[in-house]
Amino acid sequence: MRDADDPALFRRVFTRSVALLSRRWGLHRLAEVEDAVQAALMTAVERWPRDGRPENPAAWVATVAHRRLVDAHRRQAAVVPNDVEPPLQPLSSGVLGREIGDEVLRMMFVCCDPAIPIESQLVFTLKVLSGFSVGEVAAHLFVSTDNVYKRLSRARDVLKSRRGLLDLGPEQYPRRLDAVVLVIYLVFTEGHLASAGDEAIRVELCREALRLGGLLAEHPVGRQPKVAALMALMHLHASRLGSRFDGVGELVTLEEQDRSRWDRSHRAAGLRWLAMSAEGGTLSRYHAEAGIAAAHAMAPTFAETDWERIAACYALLERVAPSPWHRLNRALAVAELRGPEEGLALLADLTPAPQVTGSGAWAAALADLHRRAEHPASFVAYRRAALDRAPTDAVRRLLERRFDA
Amino acid sequence: MPTYLCLQRSLPADPPSEKPSPDEMQAMYAKFGAWMETYADQLVDTGGKLGEGRLVRAEGQVDGPFVEVKELVGGYMIVSAETLEAAIAVAEACPGLVRPGSGVEVIAIDKPG
Repeated sequence: MRDADDPALFRRVFTRSVALLSRRWGLHRLAEVEDAVQAALMTAVERWPRDGRPENPAAWVATVAHRRLVDAHRRQAAVVPNDVEPPLQPLSSGVLGREIGDEVLRMMFVCCDPAIPIESQLVFTLKVLSGFSVGEVAAHLFVSTDNVYKRLSRARDVLKSRRGLLDLGPEQYPRRLDAVVLVIYLVFTEGHLASAGDEAIRVELCREALRLGGLLAEHPVGRQPKVAALMALMHLHASRLGSRFDGVGELVTLEEQDRSRWDRSHRAAGLRWLAMSAEGGTLSRYHAEAGIAAAHAMAPTFAETDWERIAACYALLERVAPSPWHRLNRALAVAELRGPEEGLALLADLTPAPQVTGSGAWAAALADLHRRAEHPASFVAYRRAALDRAPTDAVRRLLERRFDA
Repeated sequence: MPTYLCLQRSLPADPPSEKPSPDEMQAMYAKFGAWMETYADQLVDTGGKLGEGRLVRAEGQVDGPFVEVKELVGGYMIVSAETLEAAIAVAEACPGLVRPGSGVEVIAIDKPG
């Protein structure tokens, strides 16, 4: 995609400039660097329409931001001597050419510091690596801006305390890879939730996850089967993003989706990545999830879905990442294969936590199983709970449609 | 056609506005480009932001700024229009110029003849 058409151009430029400059100026000056880059982007807003857009927008912005930081430090140094010598030399074109891509990747690993809690890693990634503002991050994650500020400052405090360690030792990269993969996966799953919020925002998150995953996958440190599996599952899920709503904007079930609207290039990319992930001795949860997504993507119709394979993948998922949700999904797959009674039987010995059984999604799944098994009392009870707890009107309407058919 | 000087004024008494995010700035960039195209015939001089300078007086030059000039006048441009109202319309349409914390003074340039 040409730069000119990239709706996320400024965010990408922001991320690249911040990554490059925080390497030069130090992580403890990250907030200053972000401010300087933001100001440089404002200058770009005014200058580029007049002077034409530069060949290398990130280099232009980084240079302007760097100069701003140099000026600020010169003024400050006159009053307060700096304890650490900031880099007052101009940026060389060599630096700007090659290093920017590497710098963004380095930043990804830096922010997945084990001392930073996962929620803070996620927020930090969205702010610094995806270039969203605090308000935008809050909207994307359905939390308050206060919450975002808190999580961000947690991350920043840890990074400040790491002052002096500008370089990650080479042994840190493989150690942190799992965390980086997890954060990208979390960005994607936030984006993929169909149940609430503005669809456009959500699609943006999925795109970001694909972009960050792509950067990782292209780099030697990211050439691992689990990274390929993550890329596979993201592309395969993304291929279906456009078809979850019908022509009048109502949510539709998987069964009802118009498969001709599934995106072919995402599907093809997903299957290529899936092939690449079939290496090495261990299967990650991403492999299992990619397998499930692939089974759906490859079924020309709902009726031809390979539920056996899906059930097997959920069984695997249960083993590597135990969760009642995986058992539930396996039960639903088994129900497709051998009827709702068999599905319900799988759930019999399960005692999930109240926040699981009390959720709308759990109630909806059980309502559907009991409806198909013709257990009227259970169906009515779960149906009521599902409708009461539906997260949005769109979901409630979908459920009503399905239950009252 | 008469010409008008438009001075961007920073308005510190206004509550401070949030700094725009990269996405918001990209939207402004697109709008700014569109604005420049729409009013291309009337934009005599799109000007720019004001930077450092000196005060030159009979007694000699004084290194400024005594007053932080760019906080009073951030930038300028020159617009041609039939009337003051028409010039104001062009200035108001400029994205980001009139918003909390920033306004624009539109001043007729009196020409002889």
